[in-house]
Amino acid sequence: MSGGVLRAMIRFENVTKVYEQNARPALDSVSLEINRGEFTFLVGASGSGKSTFLRLILKEDKASAGSVYVAGQNVANISSWRVPKLRRGIGVVFQDFRLLPQKNVFANVAFAMQVIGKSRSIIRETVPEVLKTVGLEGKERRMPHELSGGEQQRVAIARAVVNRPGILLADEPTGNLDPITSMGIMGVLDKINQNGTTVVMATHDDDIVNEMRRRVVELKNGKVIRDEAKALYTSMIPVVGESRRLRDASGEELDRAQGAQL
Amino acid sequence: MRLLFILGEIGSGLRRNLSMVISVVLVTFVSLTFVGAAGMLQMQINQMKGYWYDKVQVAVFLCNDGSTAVGCASGPATKEQQENLQAMLESPAVKQYINDFQFESQAEAYKHFKEQFSNSPIVDSVSEDQLPASFRINMKNPEKYQIISETFSSQPGVETVSDQRQVLERIFSWMNGASVAAVGVAAVMIFCAVLLITTTIRLSAFSRRRETGIMRLVGASKTVIQLPFILEGVIAAVVGAVLASVTLWLMAHFWLNGDLSRQFLNTPFISSTQVLVIAPVLIALGAGLAGISSLLTLRRYLKV
Repeated sequence: MSGGVLRAMIRFENVTKVYEQNARPALDSVSLEINRGEFTFLVGASGSGKSTFLRLILKEDKASAGSVYVAGQNVANISSWRVPKLRRGIGVVFQDFRLLPQKNVFANVAFAMQVIGKSRSIIRETVPEVLKTVGLEGKERRMPHELSGGEQQRVAIARAVVNRPGILLADEPTGNLDPITSMGIMGVLDKINQNGTTVVMATHDDDIVNEMRRRVVELKNGKVIRDEAKALYTSMIPVVGESRRLRDASGEELDRAQGAQL
Repeated sequence: MRLLFILGEIGSGLRRNLSMVISVVLVTFVSLTFVGAAGMLQMQINQMKGYWYDKVQVAVFLCNDGSTAVGCASGPATKEQQENLQAMLESPAVKQYINDFQFESQAEAYKHFKEQFSNSPIVDSVSEDQLPASFRINMKNPEKYQIISETFSSQPGVETVSDQRQVLERIFSWMNGASVAAVGVAAVMIFCAVLLITTTIRLSAFSRRRETGIMRLVGASKTVIQLPFILEGVIAAVVGAVLASVTLWLMAHFWLNGDLSRQFLNTPFISSTQVLVIAPVLIALGAGLAGISSLLTLRRYLKV
């Protein structure tokens, strides 16, 4: 295995995912590397393959062709009973928070540690630390319905990172939040990234992408059509980007022309 | 920590699905009671076989005044005929099959009859000469009854040769039939129990899909995710099995060894301690069934 593979936290090699035979593949021969400690935005219209990308990293789905490597390990070679171990190394955050409504903030975060058998003393020590990182100190005893959307998402982030995963996957984490709250969440994700966690965030939120100026991978119909460092939500070349956005709904022809331009 | 966590999950699962859990308990209780009853009947049959087969005799009845059998055309058995039969019983050809024999005269037969039916008005309507005298033979091997029957039934002065074992066999076959029926009912009930456990676990998994979804994402092992559900089913079934065992024990203690043994003094009933042998079998059966059906349900309805 080359050094590149080891440096890459996530590596896709010609990955194709077909959900239904004869249908258009959800991912079409995608090759991509995301390095340790990188912050990557995954953008693209609904159905462009962003969620499939994330699911393949988690081994929720199996690639139809090609290989997915996570931390240097081909996930296809991970036996089903070792999948939990893979997932312990990956935190996940969703648009809809997915908190447990009958548990308070502390218990929601502690849950992620309990179920993998962490001792009570470690939980009591770690959870407040993580809650502080996400800016929720003093709200341990609140119930989820007593929190704002932004606070709920912070709880969800705390839960995702409490076991110190190397990777954090965020599937439209700001999709339900207003712009200001969203920026707060981005601050938290950025802080987590600064601590060395590789962050992959699928999003529709152009303001955030433009503000953060991180790597942007754009997917369309299951293909990577753009992969730029320190990029904007749309391409740096204004005319092409604008025209693409306008023509998104129309046919394939334009995509191909665009691919040539890129 | 994980153990505590799993116990907590089981508790909350049982509480959330209380009505379903109770129905699982009741159905396994009823079905395993039938299984246990079938087992008890079999034990009772064995007990009675062991007890009675030593005691049962082959009886060679002699002709009396009222005999209508072909061999009795010449009237009641004479003294010579009786001595002839006794000689035959003592001959080596027959002796090898029997332990011993006694002669029961008409007077003795009447005495035994009066004892046996002391509570019945029938005693008053029977007189001594209506009852036949007989030779009572204890067989070395009760299965060899046929030989005695063939040897004696055609002898002059013999009305009939009867094997008391046949009467018992009829009782046993009736009891066997009852235990088969109990097993049949049990099979249907167990089928119900399995379906109910399946449904309960499915509901339980559905009502906790949020938790299990999060558990999967944070990398909880299969065991931690599935064990609470499986144990939920197993606990309900084991409670049912324990109830069934207690019921059977109570039946044995208060009914078999109480009322029935007072009514049938000569019948050896199984003791309530013997019933305790059935209990672990029932509990293992209940736990096994619940465990397997929960596991299969989870495979289909709980993604891990």
